[in-house]
Amino acid sequence: MKREGSTLVLKGGLRVRTDPRCIRGEPVFGLWAHVCAATDRSDVLPYDHPEIQQVRREALAWWIPLLGDSLVCLTTLALDSVNYAGAITAARDPSLFGEDPFARIFPGTAIPTDLFCAVPPPAGPVVERYSGVAWPGGRF
Amino acid sequence: MTAGTATETFLDLELPDHTGRTRALSEIANGDPVALFFSRGWWCPKEQRHLRGLVSIQDEFEVAYSKLVVVSVDPPEVQAAFRAGLGARFLFLSDAERLYLDELGLRETTDTVHNPYRPAAFTLYPDLRIHAAYNGYWFWGRPTLEEIRQDMRAISMAIRDDWELG
Repeated sequence: MKREGSTLVLKGGLRVRTDPRCIRGEPVFGLWAHVCAATDRSDVLPYDHPEIQQVRREALAWWIPLLGDSLVCLTTLALDSVNYAGAITAARDPSLFGEDPFARIFPGTAIPTDLFCAVPPPAGPVVERYSGVAWPGGRF
Repeated sequence: MTAGTATETFLDLELPDHTGRTRALSEIANGDPVALFFSRGWWCPKEQRHLRGLVSIQDEFEVAYSKLVVVSVDPPEVQAAFRAGLGARFLFLSDAERLYLDELGLRETTDTVHNPYRPAAFTLYPDLRIHAAYNGYWFWGRPTLEEIRQDMRAISMAIRDDWELG
């Protein structure tokens, strides 16, 4: 996985957009990223599908509290203005990645990373996207 | 500021949330309307009932670009457990140190054991100007779900440039 401008290029070549705050600031070194991403464009799903709405609810309800201080940032991965290509949770400790609700959509892989920045987790309860920005980024 | 005033800008509270992270109210708003509730705490049956009502409206907030925040004197770990039990997906802020009780004029004088907040609700513009204030000491003084909807509609109408059909 590597950053190219405002996008990430995943292993396998899929180019996706993140919550911009997660990759634009000062990176935190020595993190672990749980990458739960589609491997091919044909696998992606619309953000508006019920399972993609529900996994965002679960992130707000218990995934973020479960990670506690370990969480550094969390972002979904947008293929375009409509489609969800996965999610990445960046944390100091990968031991809870087995619980990641996003792995129910696309299986997760834990990788060491120095790419991501510290971003306050979403306040909730909003799960909709702001003008097509990858949740939880953006604002009006 | 006191609970009854409805013409001011609300204090930009900075408190730990239910996970222990410090949050500023302005950062939470982030361009959206806010429904802000002060709650006695998990032990109070009136609060339990009221918060179940807020949980029932969170499905509307989640698609309406609006924030819902509860402040109480419970410590973050107690709030986290209470929040999970309720099934809430909105933010709780903990003022366990009673930092803002007197500054906001919201000290509950009839409970000298817990020293909690007097129940109150405020609906806020994104810049924290107060749209409406509710004194919830008496349960019927709290905003109904319909009043919350109407306040969120009025604020959204004022701040969303493309609100009008034409």
